[in-house]
Amino acid sequence: LWNGTVAFGEVIFPVKLYSVVQEHRVRFREVHLSDGGRIIHRRVGSESEQEVPNDRIRKAYEISEGNQVVLEDEEIAAARGSNAKVIQIEHFADGGEIDPVYYDRPYLLGAQPGGEHAYRVLLAALEQTGKVGIGRFTLRTREQLVALAPHGEALRLYTMRFADELVPTAELDIPTASRKPSGRELEMAERLVDTLAQEWEPDRYEDRHRDAVMALIEQKASGGEVKVRAAAEPPPTPDLLAALEQSLAAGAGRKRERAPAKGGRGSKVGSGPKAGSGSKVGSGQKAGSGSKARSR
Amino acid sequence: MPHGIWNGTLSFGLVAVPVRMVSATRDRDVHFHQVDIETGERIAVQRVCEADGQEVPWEDVGRGYDLDGQLVTLTDDELAAASPERTHTIEIEEFVDLAAIDPAQFDHPYFLVPGSESEGTTRAYQLLRDAMASTNQVAIGRVVLRSSEYLVAVRQREDLLLLTTMLFADEMRDADQIEAVPTGSTGQPSRGEVAQAVKLINAMTRDFDPAGYENRYRARLTDLIESKHKTRRKVEPPVEDDAAAAPAPDLMAALKASLERAGRD
Repeated sequence: LWNGTVAFGEVIFPVKLYSVVQEHRVRFREVHLSDGGRIIHRRVGSESEQEVPNDRIRKAYEISEGNQVVLEDEEIAAARGSNAKVIQIEHFADGGEIDPVYYDRPYLLGAQPGGEHAYRVLLAALEQTGKVGIGRFTLRTREQLVALAPHGEALRLYTMRFADELVPTAELDIPTASRKPSGRELEMAERLVDTLAQEWEPDRYEDRHRDAVMALIEQKASGGEVKVRAAAEPPPTPDLLAALEQSLAAGAGRKRERAPAKGGRGSKVGSGPKAGSGSKVGSGQKAGSGSKARSR
Repeated sequence: MPHGIWNGTLSFGLVAVPVRMVSATRDRDVHFHQVDIETGERIAVQRVCEADGQEVPWEDVGRGYDLDGQLVTLTDDELAAASPERTHTIEIEEFVDLAAIDPAQFDHPYFLVPGSESEGTTRAYQLLRDAMASTNQVAIGRVVLRSSEYLVAVRQREDLLLLTTMLFADEMRDADQIEAVPTGSTGQPSRGEVAQAVKLINAMTRDFDPAGYENRYRARLTDLIESKHKTRRKVEPPVEDDAAAAPAPDLMAALKASLERAGRD
């Protein structure tokens, strides 16, 4: 994806950048519903509606109405800055201090030949200190703020969001309740949270929707009809305290044991979207259905 | 009240809270539009059917999937039938520690705001928010947005609930799939080197102050546009400084020299 060096202090070592994300989502293309023809995007003059060849298209910035500055790609490239080949670490910070909302896209760093030793020294030292390196580098045409963090045997690089790219909560005009939740309500809600608290096991979650969509596609391909069904939304809770009490009673305060993360799943997928990946998910809420599912 | 990109219900046990989802990020990028340099006319993008070359109105655009050469078309309504419940409800499946989640799994952040001004809704909303804050837990559930299913994490942030879409574990590449990640005996560090690097890291540590970082790319782009607007002269490309710096031949010496410099700064 990108080759360059990491520089912190006077330590410099060559690295390679890899994307972490490998998407498996079902990708669609646009089609014309009435005749099934593929849709292509055509660039046209907004008034003439005549197609414009690519070599006549430029980027422009509108300074004010009717007043624009046209820029060539190489002029825009002048904004990218000079450190195109270096991830320059400016300082380190406590990893726990950084709200994950600032992390944007994750990447993995590998070492280029000759860089392995310094790579592992930095990785081990970050691991030991719980710190991350904050720096900048230019990916493609734009300079990014980045964080370098240890993750297992590899260094991760995250591009970061700038603070002004987050919506300030004060700008959202949020209705608040005239009466705060009571101490009793809060205590019961906390107990309910505890009842549903689990160790985080990301592998337990699979994209079952992907399979459902693929099944739909196959059904339609073989000439089948797709039944459009809408689900009813649950009504808002009329009595908060009663709902909390019933939820807790249904969970019976049991701290559920988790089934092994792998195995025993999957086969259940067909049993309906409400089945929940791990049987216990939601089982406490639907009294009666939980105990059986859990005995696997 | 802000407009939601998604309206639905967050359910927690038997407690159902109507919510709206709004993006927690805003686009501060400098945006260009496209123009035809011969006529100065702005460019628009038209959707055209390949079969007859005619423009297709948006209502007539569906989704197609290429199944072994056969193009299967689906409407949005048909797609929604794949997981009808999740298109309207986020059911909290479990609560976990925020710190246990790999931040790489987080995708896009949204705020969840109460779906109505009614006392019942706002109180249930506040209750869930406060219970998660005091127990330091994050709620995990799923939702279908724009025909894709997302794993989501919901937690308290300031006065609000922050929902972050997440990647499924199998959408993420592991380090062991990448050969260039050095392991085993390759480049194994000595204890002394790590200790020296730890010292350097500590010497270079500052508080993380998110507002303290300037988006220099955006600033340069804005300057460049202004300067071209004023002078009407072509912007000169920057002097390329793409030569990669040479790696340090002696790691220990480089660490020590850096530490001395960090101490002086």
